[in-house]
Amino acid sequence: MKMFTKIALATAAAALATSAMAQPKPEAFVKERKAAFTLLAWYFGPLAAVAKGEKPFNKDEAVRATSMLVPLSKMPWEGFAPGTDKVGNTEAKAEVWSNNAKFKELGGKLETEMAKLAAFANAGDADGFKKQFGAVGGTCKSCHDDFKNK
Amino acid sequence: MTKPSTELISAPVWDIFVRCFHWSLVVLFAAAVITGEIGGNAIAWHMRCGYAILTLVTFRLIWGFVGGEYARFASFLTSPGKTIAFAKNMMGKGHDYVVGHNPPGGWMVLALLLTLATQATLGLFTNDEIATTGPLAQYVSEATSVRLTGIHHIIGKVLLALVGLHVAAVLFHLFVKKENLIRAMFSGNKSLPADLAREAQGARKASTTLGFAVFVLVIALVAVIVNWSVWFK
Repeated sequence: MKMFTKIALATAAAALATSAMAQPKPEAFVKERKAAFTLLAWYFGPLAAVAKGEKPFNKDEAVRATSMLVPLSKMPWEGFAPGTDKVGNTEAKAEVWSNNAKFKELGGKLETEMAKLAAFANAGDADGFKKQFGAVGGTCKSCHDDFKNK
Repeated sequence: MTKPSTELISAPVWDIFVRCFHWSLVVLFAAAVITGEIGGNAIAWHMRCGYAILTLVTFRLIWGFVGGEYARFASFLTSPGKTIAFAKNMMGKGHDYVVGHNPPGGWMVLALLLTLATQATLGLFTNDEIATTGPLAQYVSEATSVRLTGIHHIIGKVLLALVGLHVAAVLFHLFVKKENLIRAMFSGNKSLPADLAREAQGARKASTTLGFAVFVLVIALVAVIVNWSVWFK
């Protein structure tokens, strides 16, 4: 390879890398976290009927839902980047950033509890699943209470 | 404390419906607050408490027009002037006996009933943005439902303040004025000066048949509202 080609390629690669690493706009962060929460609610909400006993527990459905909920439970946190506290019509309270340690702890709790819900689904444990559904809902609530404007 | 100049006589004041209403409401209100705070699967019980409270409060609002003498709004809602005068006298050394609810107490009863009715009705339209929606939430837009949920949370705090004030006033009567209103709400009998006791004995009694009829009707009404989307879709 000629020296000129090498330099040209390296320059192009560097330019690409820089553009790929460019920080997304603050609005994009808000979109990211809202999208994650929207999808969490989409897959989590319908399971309430099972937890309440209005619908029978179906292992396949529970496994399918939790297989999506587990990764989703890890997704919203990236969207709470510094400097995105007053962007768009966010419902996030300033405490998300001012008391970030607590926020992160509660976010981590959601991930843990959601993983447990998936474990009950995979084991086909209907009673455990129903109980754990409440634990996950309680985790949502404890965080909403302190960090979400209603 | 001022000693009553005359001996106190026990006389029937609170009809059975008022008493059952009051103490069931105490239990249900506490349960609603606790289950609401816990969230998760306890929300199912929070909703049931809400339906029961809506039933009780609606019954009590009707009972305020057709119940026993001292259950009626007309008997305990008085002018602001009288209310302030009574409160001033009570805060000082005075102690006016009243057969039913005293003037500020009467207004508190109305405030509690209306706030509870509002709160229970709002609850029907809520959406907690987790996994729970009230039984009528589907008839309003999601944005409205979420906004009403915000108001539901605020009124919850207002209710706690009102209940706190109500309990504080009753404890003030108990410890400062040595008048046990709590026991009266259990037994139905208040200790009153002779003239007031005579008045209570001669007052209009509650009709048990009417009370049950109204109660059953209200249960049916609330059942229809709560199950509207299931029964009439």
